[in-house]
Amino acid sequence: MGTPKAMAVEHGMRTLHQKREKAVDEFPLMEHLRDRSRAIRLHALSNLDRLLDHFADRVGAAGGKVHWADDAAEANRIVLDILQRTDSKLVVKSKSMVSEEIEVNHHLESEGIEVVETDLGEFIVQLAEDSPSHIIAPVLHMTRQDVGEVFAEKLGVPYTDDPFELNRIAREHLRPIFLKADAGISGVNLAVAESGSVILVTNEGNGRMVTTAPRVHIALMGMERIVSRWQDAAVVLETLARSATGQKLSVYTNVVTGPRKEEDPDGPEEVHVVIIDNGRSDILSGDTAEILACIRCGACLNVCPVYRTAGGHAYGTVYSGPVGSIVTPGLHGMDPWWELPYASTLCGACEEVCPVRIQIPSMLLKLRQRAAAEGRLPGWLQRGMSRYARTVTVPTKWARAKKWAHRLSALISVRGWIRRMPGPGRGWTSSRDFPQPAKESFQEWWRSNRGT
Amino acid sequence: MEREAFLSRVGRASMTAELPSSPAVPAELPDYPPADLVALFRNRAQAVNAVVHGPVSRHGAPVTIAGIVTGHGARTFVSWDSLPASGVPGALTAQGLRRLEFGLTHEDRDLSAFTSLDVGVTGSTAGLAESGSLVLEHGPGRPRLASLLPEIHVALIDVDTISTTLAHWASKNPETAAKTTNLVIITGPSRTGDIEQQLNLGVHGPRHVHIVLVR
Repeated sequence: MGTPKAMAVEHGMRTLHQKREKAVDEFPLMEHLRDRSRAIRLHALSNLDRLLDHFADRVGAAGGKVHWADDAAEANRIVLDILQRTDSKLVVKSKSMVSEEIEVNHHLESEGIEVVETDLGEFIVQLAEDSPSHIIAPVLHMTRQDVGEVFAEKLGVPYTDDPFELNRIAREHLRPIFLKADAGISGVNLAVAESGSVILVTNEGNGRMVTTAPRVHIALMGMERIVSRWQDAAVVLETLARSATGQKLSVYTNVVTGPRKEEDPDGPEEVHVVIIDNGRSDILSGDTAEILACIRCGACLNVCPVYRTAGGHAYGTVYSGPVGSIVTPGLHGMDPWWELPYASTLCGACEEVCPVRIQIPSMLLKLRQRAAAEGRLPGWLQRGMSRYARTVTVPTKWARAKKWAHRLSALISVRGWIRRMPGPGRGWTSSRDFPQPAKESFQEWWRSNRGT
Repeated sequence: MEREAFLSRVGRASMTAELPSSPAVPAELPDYPPADLVALFRNRAQAVNAVVHGPVSRHGAPVTIAGIVTGHGARTFVSWDSLPASGVPGALTAQGLRRLEFGLTHEDRDLSAFTSLDVGVTGSTAGLAESGSLVLEHGPGRPRLASLLPEIHVALIDVDTISTTLAHWASKNPETAAKTTNLVIITGPSRTGDIEQQLNLGVHGPRHVHIVLVR
């Protein structure tokens, strides 16, 4: 900590977290709506095939079309097909995690289609050729000076680090692009089975532009983002914004049900919903299925001591933070992602703030158990932990071990502190000293001082 | 992938899914009865940077709105065809504003008209007091871009349509999503906090939202 980047992350986290606390405290129904949201999401997961089937019928009845993508490659192929058939060369995009997951921009650009990110944060990320570091605040890791430099370099405007001015530059730059774009690509926050609607929430309005101005709207949807009814969606929306940014509702909650009708004055002529599995049915079939109830608010990131220290990029994947540590090994396999569940102190703050009360720490433990059972831990740790377990469970062995710990550590201690530990302990002492194990254990001290 | 194959795989996965049991919740939402719906709506809408006017009478609304837009120095506007008060477009053209028509086909769109648009006047289906939000149902004579493209959005709302929360309103209007191609719930002017979490209004949507309460 201490660099401008680290301070930007820490400040961002704190602000988002404090806003959430205030919004949650102010709303007397919040705890009730959290329970309700949890029930709604769990019900949806238990009936996922039925709901998706019904949803597809309803989208069709509203004049839209549903496509089914087994994996990222298929999703990208479907999107490309739609764009080529509709002769679309310029595409505007609103922020979507699943589009990052399948890397649709990269794929489309390699086919000669221009893709413009329109969420201010994502737009900056795209210009900077960087990657987002937070689910809802993509440039949390950048300072205003960073943004000013990127704009000056890539847009050819005079340097400014005034956020208002930067905002105006982005608005003026993007406005004609929205109106000229052939197609819009969005994500889906929630889908409603009963009505065939997709719901997108944004604060800037770019989500509405993307789904209104161009001829074609393509919505990319992770298959778990569904609820049964409109009134269920409304309950979940009440908890989403409060948990994400501390707003009561996001500025724009946009409910899209099929393309424009003949007599409508505006709106897209085609609406396509691409429902994406890409590993989600593997998660659903196992003991971390509950993580699919996540509504992507980001509250667990903002409270996580590990995320707050390391930042989103440290996770090396699209979905960071506590939720990402469960989603990523689930979607993309334990290899190489088995270490992510260890990036947690198991403090439980994530579960405390989760709007749908997902039991994140216990799932992190399940994944750790799986990693250990699969023999993924380094040999020294695996052997060390089993020896430790054998020792601490037998009182006489434990007492002996404590004695030896003091005697052996005395050889390398200076005035009660170990400056450099041997073996795997080296990492610890590279940045701080380790206290020498005490001569007398607490139990011994108790017996001689307070014992009867 | 084929729909059948996709769905049958999801169905198979659900069979072995280890999901916790759901919390028991009552069928109905608990009551949320604020003392004064209109006062709460005003208070919450202002908290998200909207400007709330009135309540004014149906006769008084055109004058109020003409005052708002001339205060901004606006020159052009679009308007929904039917509003909770009549005579609004006439009052604006009488002030010298030019009304743009929204024949927004994708073949011949005049980009310059859109970039020079100052004001959008819309009605609204309902107000949500707890969040200070407006519900807009788009359709014939009710363009979506009227509340999105201009710098200034003026929304008229009948005070009798103000409800409590989104959850309560939706539970009383379960058909809304299915019967409207595009429904938008608007809570204040367009905003972002992307750059150092500093509040910035009017990113892509309107910078100013004026809500005129009509009685």
